[in-house]
Amino acid sequence: MVRRNYLGEMELMVLLAVVRLGDDAYGVPISKELLLIAQREVSVGSIYAALERLESKGFVSSSLGEPTPERGGRAKRYFHVTRTGVRTLEQTRESLTRLWSDVPALKGKSA
Amino acid sequence: MTSKKSNPPEFALWWLRHMCPGQHNEVLTGDLIERFREGATRGWFWKQTLIASITGAASELRRRWAFFCYAIIGSAAMCLMPRYAPIKMSIWLHWSELPWPLSQFVFEGAAPVVVTLVALSVLAAGLLIEHSFRWTYIFRTWIINIALLTVSHYSIDLFPRLLRPIPGDPYVKVLIIPQAVQVLFLVSTFLVAAWLGCPMKPSASKVRQTGHKTS
Repeated sequence: MVRRNYLGEMELMVLLAVVRLGDDAYGVPISKELLLIAQREVSVGSIYAALERLESKGFVSSSLGEPTPERGGRAKRYFHVTRTGVRTLEQTRESLTRLWSDVPALKGKSA
Repeated sequence: MTSKKSNPPEFALWWLRHMCPGQHNEVLTGDLIERFREGATRGWFWKQTLIASITGAASELRRRWAFFCYAIIGSAAMCLMPRYAPIKMSIWLHWSELPWPLSQFVFEGAAPVVVTLVALSVLAAGLLIEHSFRWTYIFRTWIINIALLTVSHYSIDLFPRLLRPIPGDPYVKVLIIPQAVQVLFLVSTFLVAAWLGCPMKPSASKVRQTGHKTS
């Protein structure tokens, strides 16, 4: 049986943030990007949990930067989207677009 | 010299280093320090530390689910075993025919050996599913587990105040520690054995460490 890896909402948002940031995608800019674009304040721990899942699925890879004094001598870990990640993103966009195209005008019902 | 205001809480840093599981611990700490020095409050730093601990524990649970299954099944079997098995097992192993102290060892050690072997099948299945199966892991976990259970079993005699005789039978004694604590202790014994026996590498095998980059 073929095991398919789908993207959860948080994973999708983090993956898109990584794509948008390009070569500067590490924890701090990713959290700022999510706050700025998606208006979601996500904790750094949750971002790394999502990145860990994406890494284990093979959607992102990472490389270690140099330690810097403003980070208490700790290095940054930069994340990059892999080809599998890009392909999965495209598939997700197509699925979501198809789903949205068949949805009639949304009307809320009073509770 | 840096002022106290520009330094994050020391205890939170200690907590992140020692109590927060996860493969990205160091970089996460670096990110939090960077945000803190950009103007975040100490309260924000503590909140992030606690969330990182919870999410780290959750991802560790997801990554090592086989260990937890092993610990739960092993502990449950250990708790149920004395009620149903000693009579059958004593007949099966003919322990009473062996010379002392061998008979004593067999009588007392048979249950943990059988229980751990049963629970190990669960661990083996989990490791197979995760593509991490090694015979050495299974054997090492078994040996460590037997050793831990034996040490904890015999060390009870060092604390006679923890034991009280059953009314009507002065030769049989029971622990005064609550059942829930005993079960927790058993679960942690199985977990420690699996943790030490199966040094599963984090999924960092897919992580490239070579691309050094200046910030």
